[in-house]
Amino acid sequence: MNSKQNKSKDQNTEKLKEIPKWTRKYAQNRTLTILVLIVMTAFFGMFVAFLVGVPLALAVAGFRKGNMILGCVGIAVLIAVLAALVKFYIFIFAKFGGKNKGLLDQIIDRWIYGREGFTSMPQPKLSKRKKWLDIFVGIVYMVCLIGSMELGMTGYIPVKYLLPFMALFVVPFGVYQYYVLWPRLGPVLLICPILYTIHAILIIAGVPIYFTGIFAVPLNMLLPLIYTLLTYMIGHLYSRYALKKLKGITHLEKEVANGRD
Amino acid sequence: MEEIDKIIHEPTRLRIMMILAGLEEADFTFLVPTLDLTRGNLNRHMEKLESAGYLKVKRSFKGKVRNTSYQITQKGSKALAQYWENIDAVRRLGKS
Repeated sequence: MNSKQNKSKDQNTEKLKEIPKWTRKYAQNRTLTILVLIVMTAFFGMFVAFLVGVPLALAVAGFRKGNMILGCVGIAVLIAVLAALVKFYIFIFAKFGGKNKGLLDQIIDRWIYGREGFTSMPQPKLSKRKKWLDIFVGIVYMVCLIGSMELGMTGYIPVKYLLPFMALFVVPFGVYQYYVLWPRLGPVLLICPILYTIHAILIIAGVPIYFTGIFAVPLNMLLPLIYTLLTYMIGHLYSRYALKKLKGITHLEKEVANGRD
Repeated sequence: MEEIDKIIHEPTRLRIMMILAGLEEADFTFLVPTLDLTRGNLNRHMEKLESAGYLKVKRSFKGKVRNTSYQITQKGSKALAQYWENIDAVRRLGKS
């Protein structure tokens, strides 16, 4: 065996050592499942808001105009909708909650990545203390989010500074999420807080990259969601790259083993 | 220097072990195309690794489909780390 062959064999051995790295990167970035879950939840939320909002608006309009029939119909429909929602949530919890927690993720994962097979990363360790910390952080985040919306709507925070103001809690929350979900999800999760920080800095620097007009507050508040979706999309694309790299190494090793190098 | 582990030293089995070293678990459907093997061939290697105690097999049903997934054991992780130590030692000897 000459020195050139030796060098090539050495390089292949070093490449072999990269297999766990690319496997891990692939598994961590199968993020399309989460993206689908977020989109599903967002659409379902909008659907529920529509279902509740329409009869509520009807009832309010009816009682304001003194049209008791319209008001009562609105209330009756609202009660029926709420009852149906309660029944639906009980069904959903029975099917996907408690012991079946994670089943919905598995079904979506199988639907999207089923052909590629199943891989899993170690789940984050969930101690009782950490669980309570997660709940506490979630509540703080929601309070900050609703508070910002109120401050934005009432004009205490100018529309221009709403996004940089929100960055003060959205960015730390994004970084916290990364630590909570690691190693199940990788550094791709940091893309969202990074993009959001850059956006906030650019606004403060005077770049007019924010929404104005009557829907300025909700549209500016939707930006974290857009960055989250973008993050998971980038994650998915990276998983394609990692899988290609992984197959490149594993197939190469097979060729070497078969003497085709 | 310890003897090179012959079970791991086989190229296909080494690749299987390296893939599983990066994950908590992977199933048969993932391993077949990733390693570019036939199902029968992969099965044969898996049986060898399982009988050596390097892998743990989990058989379950995903919906109505039977699923077999694999996990590297602690013994397997140790054997793999030892294997690389030995290989690196051999490579160092070859260079000197």
